[in-house]
Amino acid sequence: MDTDDRQIIADLRLDNKKDLAFHMLVKKYQERLYWQIRKIVMNHEDADDVLQNTFIKVWKSIDKFREESSLYTWLYRIATNESLTFLNSNRRRSFMPINDVSDYLMKNLMSDPYFEGDYIQLKLQKAILKLPDKQRTVFNMKYFDEMKYEDMSKILDTSVGALKASYHHAAKKIEEYLKNTD
Amino acid sequence: MGKMDELKEIAPKLSKIKKEIPFGVPENYFDDFSARLQMKIGAERITLPNQQNRIIQFLKPALGLAASFALIFMLVYWPLNSFTPTEVANSTNSGNEITDSEYRSMVEGMDENSFYTLLEEPAQTVQISDDDLLNYLSASVSDYDIYMGTEN
Repeated sequence: MDTDDRQIIADLRLDNKKDLAFHMLVKKYQERLYWQIRKIVMNHEDADDVLQNTFIKVWKSIDKFREESSLYTWLYRIATNESLTFLNSNRRRSFMPINDVSDYLMKNLMSDPYFEGDYIQLKLQKAILKLPDKQRTVFNMKYFDEMKYEDMSKILDTSVGALKASYHHAAKKIEEYLKNTD
Repeated sequence: MGKMDELKEIAPKLSKIKKEIPFGVPENYFDDFSARLQMKIGAERITLPNQQNRIIQFLKPALGLAASFALIFMLVYWPLNSFTPTEVANSTNSGNEITDSEYRSMVEGMDENSFYTLLEEPAQTVQISDDDLLNYLSASVSDYDIYMGTEN
């Protein structure tokens, strides 16, 4: 863990410094966490809600952070879990079967005024949305963020071997989709 | 094999697409986010119940149940016991028992000789001799009754 993070954690445990330290933590990590969440929930409004919930959870449970992993890994894990929980609760609320989630996310994507990609980017996003939630998360972390499997393993609590296999399958499925929709 | 080579191998079409995140955010979104978050946390702090309230919330169902039992006791059991006439209560509670005051008045009502006779009389069962029994039967039962009784 870097020195800045150590200082933030120490200050977060002091009542007189907690607010300022939390502000620094948010400023430092908000953007990176936002993009991780946005790639899972697709839509800006939902991503904003989930990001706020993520930081509120961090605020409430900072005492539980044991410093066994880096602060960023811990935050990333909370953000990922919050995003997947958000999708699952939406699924339950609308009585959606698993297959319909990609349609729901597709609608989210198409109606999002902040989508700025071209035709081929849209096609790639559609292909990614066909993947199951967890596999999609693995693919995004590896493909877009170029994260190491070891770091992903700590965040997703999954073995490196399983993550490699998951990414391989995801890439194959996307390739198949791209070929079939030419 | 490098990462790109590996991707070219398994997904050649995918590897040709430019890697970029095609999403945007509203203007100044990241500048304002922290302030909006602080407001939300402030609101949560106000609505967050304190420790004492949380204990009360936790015990509320049990306290409600205890209060209901106390109310039922007050409304049913206590009035029944308090307002039932004494005679009824005594007859239901002490069936054939003789109270101390009744016993005392019985003893006081006896004359001295009867009292001592009663004390000296040994507790024994009444013995009936055969002659007494024959005399009783001949006086109370006819020959016909005896004949009919032996036939059955």
